[in-house]
Amino acid sequence: MTQHVVNVLLSGIFHASILFLVAAGLQVVFGVQKIFNLACGSFYALGAYVGVSAVGWYTGAGGPAALFVLPLALAGLAVGAVGVVVERGLLRFVYDRDETFQLLLTFAVVLMMEDAIRMTWGTSPRSTAGLYLTYGQVPILGAAVPVYNLIVIGASLAIALLIGWLLTRTAFGRIIRASADNREMAEALGVDMRRVYATVFTLGTALGTLGGALVIPATAAMSEMGIELIVEAFAVVVIGGLGSMRGAFVGALIVGVLRSIAISVYPELEMLLIYLIVIAVLVLRPRGLFGGAAA
Amino acid sequence: MQTSRRQFLKLTGAGAAAAAARLEAAPAFAQAAGPVKIGVLAIRAGIAAPVGTAGLRGTEWWADRVNKAGGILGRPVQLVVEEESNPKDTVERYRKLILQDKVEVVLGGISTGVTLALGPVAEDLGTPWLSWDGTTQKGVEETMPNPKWAFKSVDNEVEAIAAGILTAKYFKGVKTVAGINNDYSYGHDCWQSYLAVLKKLGMDVKPVLDLFPKLGVTDFTSHIAAIQKAKPDLLMTSFWSGDATILMKQAAAVGLFKTMKGVFTTAGGVHDSLKKEFTPEGLLLGYNSMYFDDPKGSALLKQFVREHKARYNEYPPYECDHAYFCAESYKAAAEKAAGGSRQWPAKAQVVKALEGIEVESLSGKRSWREDHVQMCNFFQGITTHKNGYDFVTVSPLEVISTKQAMKPAGTKLFDWINGWKA
Repeated sequence: MTQHVVNVLLSGIFHASILFLVAAGLQVVFGVQKIFNLACGSFYALGAYVGVSAVGWYTGAGGPAALFVLPLALAGLAVGAVGVVVERGLLRFVYDRDETFQLLLTFAVVLMMEDAIRMTWGTSPRSTAGLYLTYGQVPILGAAVPVYNLIVIGASLAIALLIGWLLTRTAFGRIIRASADNREMAEALGVDMRRVYATVFTLGTALGTLGGALVIPATAAMSEMGIELIVEAFAVVVIGGLGSMRGAFVGALIVGVLRSIAISVYPELEMLLIYLIVIAVLVLRPRGLFGGAAA
Repeated sequence: MQTSRRQFLKLTGAGAAAAAARLEAAPAFAQAAGPVKIGVLAIRAGIAAPVGTAGLRGTEWWADRVNKAGGILGRPVQLVVEEESNPKDTVERYRKLILQDKVEVVLGGISTGVTLALGPVAEDLGTPWLSWDGTTQKGVEETMPNPKWAFKSVDNEVEAIAAGILTAKYFKGVKTVAGINNDYSYGHDCWQSYLAVLKKLGMDVKPVLDLFPKLGVTDFTSHIAAIQKAKPDLLMTSFWSGDATILMKQAAAVGLFKTMKGVFTTAGGVHDSLKKEFTPEGLLLGYNSMYFDDPKGSALLKQFVREHKARYNEYPPYECDHAYFCAESYKAAAEKAAGGSRQWPAKAQVVKALEGIEVESLSGKRSWREDHVQMCNFFQGITTHKNGYDFVTVSPLEVISTKQAMKPAGTKLFDWINGWKA
């Protein structure tokens, strides 16, 4: 029995870890730039594909299998730089426009990225073969848990703490929070908003690409993988509260773990349960569990 | 990777701008020199993109081959490729192919959601349409029992029925089964058909869990936790895309198939992603209607596999042959309808010639049943690591004909299964 509880909980937390990274990217961008970035799912897919290529290159060059996580995470972070291009090249032109334009623009990015991915990596699913199994399993209360899943959970937790520290303990974090609270005031006090926007958007992008890169050994990259995740990321954001990091963390845990419990207990409820919670939150607490807090 | 439409036109069309008036209207000899325009619908985006790509590759290989050998009745073949997407847009592109591009025939169609809508349009427009992989079934019920112009693929659930027959042969002692299938018609139909076959063949099995994740899910760790809890003797899945690979890998990470049998009815569509590192031996694996490594395969299959590998660095999946057969049967029917002359036959004559025709396809002989349904062999077998590849193949290989595993014309699926003499 305990073994099943561990299996169900840990698979839910594993799912939540990835969901958190993507949702956090969504939140940080919305918190500061007030843009609902539909493309966060595409960044996730991009990270996954780049991760596959990086690991392929790494093993091809004879790198030890046990260290494959390093090039994987580095590639995931590095490709986050595409955020600067999207922000400076596209988004900055629509900051003063209606939200509909912003949504449309990020949706256009979704479509373009899907095509770009298809042209670069082809249509067949890509995967990192058996690297997922490199680290084996550890027994936890009778359940055999893949070590790689624990690494992803650990990495996601570390990133959550790092973001928390960044936002609350550093000058950069204070500037971000100030900009999120009151853009005009921050600008009047001498904050270079262009730099803040570029940095924040890149941070949001890198969270998504890193999430994609980290998940890829356990799954396979498919060009539409981002679309699937973004629906769940929306649920996370609604439950946690738009713009809130703490909301992304708690929301991801709720969605991941409840989904996992539903699949084990009453599989018909798999997705429905998530939407029921979303509806309940919208009715009872429309701003979400942590809504209203800045970034 | 893939020949673009423009390159391809250059390749096969020889730059000839065909006058291509409607055949019925113009005397046949007037256009005998122009190319035969063949419309192709292929999915190139989304989860079924690899399948659509495979179909297109099979068709292109066929066209190259036919053109090198002098075309059909002396006319070169020219492909006009359009995208299969949602039903509404695909129907529009289908109309464009016929009304604007004036093609002689349309090949393609993979998603039954789309082809259900294409069927009546094909009848309406009076041009033959040969579907690669799509049917006009609603669930397991045929909606177009007597089409005139539409030629449809094998019933969707055939591979699940074949897998049921082989489960009864290879996994006799199984008492409990779990299923994980996608939450749409194909997934549900496969699971129901599979269970019906097991029951009919006297296997006293109890379904203990049926999971239906939606199409496109890429994380099954929670589903696997549920399967571990249900502890079935056997897990069945009809996953056919990257999800099959993901399920296999995530199952391996917790050693799932150390304690249960596995049946992957359709994962052969992504066979070269099923690496030995995480795909165990002893699973039942289905390759649909073509197996690239068939030891009894024809010289044609071997040549195709060799050239496909050389060109794309991949071993071809079954959809190549659905597509090859559609094109090759069209050619054979046109030649048959011409009756030895060089006169190009009318469309209705080609359709008549297609009915019941049998041709040599990549996987062996394939034919069109009189009611316009594709007849072929299905290839399944037990996974093995004893090969020169980095992915699994099957041995022994089992070949099951649609004569055995597909409901005959005019019957209801479950009545038919229940009527088997076990």
